Amino acid sequence: MAELDSLGEVISADVLVVGGGIAGLAAAITVKEKDPGLEVLVVEKATSGWAGKADRGGGILAFLTPADKPEDFVRFHVHHIGCFLEDQELLSEYAHTCNGVLDHLDAWGVKVAREKNGRWKYVKLPGLDVPWGLAGVDLDMCRRLRRHAARLGVRFLDKVALVDLLRHGDRVAGAIGFGVEDGACRLVRARATILASGSQNYRVMPMWSCGRGDGIAAAYRAGAQMRNAEFGSFVNMVHAASREVVFGAEDHMYNAKGERVSEKYRPGLQPDICAMAAVGWYREHLEGNGPVRVKSEENLLQIGSEILFSTDLVWERPAAIAFWSRLWEKAGAAESGSVASMPEVVPGFIGEQSPVRVDHDMATSLPGLYAVGDVSYSGSAWTGAVPSPPGRIRGTGLMNAVWSARKGALSAAGYAAEAGELPRVDRAHAAALKEGIFAPARREGAGVTALEVVREVQGAMTPVRYSNWKSEARMREALGMVLEAKGKLHALKAADPHDLARCNEARSMALCAEMFYRASLERKESRGWFVREDFPERDDANWLKWIVIREKDGEMAVSTEDIPLEGYPIKP
Amino acid sequence: MNAISIDTDRCDGCKACVKACFVNVLRWDEAGRRPVVAHAEDCVHCNLCEINCRRECITVTPDFSHLRWSAL
Repeated sequence: MAELDSLGEVISADVLVVGGGIAGLAAAITVKEKDPGLEVLVVEKATSGWAGKADRGGGILAFLTPADKPEDFVRFHVHHIGCFLEDQELLSEYAHTCNGVLDHLDAWGVKVAREKNGRWKYVKLPGLDVPWGLAGVDLDMCRRLRRHAARLGVRFLDKVALVDLLRHGDRVAGAIGFGVEDGACRLVRARATILASGSQNYRVMPMWSCGRGDGIAAAYRAGAQMRNAEFGSFVNMVHAASREVVFGAEDHMYNAKGERVSEKYRPGLQPDICAMAAVGWYREHLEGNGPVRVKSEENLLQIGSEILFSTDLVWERPAAIAFWSRLWEKAGAAESGSVASMPEVVPGFIGEQSPVRVDHDMATSLPGLYAVGDVSYSGSAWTGAVPSPPGRIRGTGLMNAVWSARKGALSAAGYAAEAGELPRVDRAHAAALKEGIFAPARREGAGVTALEVVREVQGAMTPVRYSNWKSEARMREALGMVLEAKGKLHALKAADPHDLARCNEARSMALCAEMFYRASLERKESRGWFVREDFPERDDANWLKWIVIREKDGEMAVSTEDIPLEGYPIKP
Repeated sequence: MNAISIDTDRCDGCKACVKACFVNVLRWDEAGRRPVVAHAEDCVHCNLCEINCRRECITVTPDFSHLRWSAL
């Protein structure tokens, strides 16, 4: 039998972590803390410690303040956030243990803001009586985590895109991919593999651009189950001119007649944006009442002229201030043409599909494969009927990333320690994967560019009428567009290794979009983030179910699973 | 497309900008010991290359006009 290394450079580790953002780094550190003897390798498409979304976000952690009770958090979540689609056992565990994340980050060298008396410095969302508060963390957290991980002996391999999972029978035995600069094939053999590669964001919104669904697609192709894929249509309201986020815009929207329309679509104050804010924007346009503007002075997330998340009036965070002020200074130039006090807003499609199914140990349905952070936020189901972070609670993104990473890492470390020899890799399977991965690089003559496919998928995802204000007919139309894009994947042509990575991303985006619409067509009701014009009511009689997707004989098989509410404390 | 300019005379080759780019727009040129703008079309103006350049020799000029997805 030909040797594996005839396919490319073979690297071995006890635990392979795919993705060097906050979840991957937290997982790598936790494996080393649990069992320093285990070899841990973090592989990242960009550079570990700089990659991912964490250091380009709000830098906030939703935690339970001394005044908040875990039971109240669970009850609020089930009734108002996840709408009974939660795995209540895992949600309860999250509520009781998530605060430990702040201690871990602190111990790992991340700057979590404290009061003079040593307690976490937090704020409550203005005007809202909700059972959590927001702690602040500076936006250099991933760099600090990488330094800490390196001190513990974690190894790093940057600028390598891992595309598919290697197998030994049913067991995951590592991953295969290539250098995004040198184009060389690399195979990583591992006793346990942790996916920490983020959600699918279709590279629409700039700061979410790194979430391109590679890990989701790899897990799907390897046969892993997906769950809650229909919730991946997150949007935030953004400036029409610069497309930068207007935090809190949804609560003070006005139509062209000067009517305040927020409450019409979004009754009562809510902890975060809901799909109805975008739907309201769309319907106002449909009725000839566009454009929609916001009245900045009514923004509850604003302190004076500054937004809560990006001011040093609340937390001292030099890296965050440097990032946000530079971003907004440049965006401000583009926005200067709009009415400063009432800028026009549009929905900025983000997506945040995160459907890799995991159990309470963050183990996927494939032996040897774990999934943590945004890649499995919805798939873990503690979150219910919402897209991944913020998932209608601002600050759960970072919290879930570290919380789930610790759980998954402890499970994976145990698995790797007990797994014995490195699993052998099925060479014929690896060779077939390599063939598929490099096909766009070998293509001669005319071909399709990755960006062409990406634009087509984006066209099926960004319009509110397709992905958020859903109907059977419109979703079939959008799915048709996705399938048309999918039909071009065989003709993808890559100009260089960087472009080869884009080809894989195009493939991942087409797959995730198809999954989104197939799952969405199945759910015939409205619940939480999920809104259908043709089924506007929540249907507890028929839809207290999870929608599960997996590949079967080359097709996308969709099935449902009853939520075991009889064993849960909170019932509809 | 965003424009990224690098003053390679001022640059001291610390590589911080290449590391900071989370979408692999910048690439390290081993022969010239300097960063190069390899894929400007993928730049999303996070500005972290610019912010983290200790010699202040990188400028990112965003082009917001290319962000025109349709929400309708």
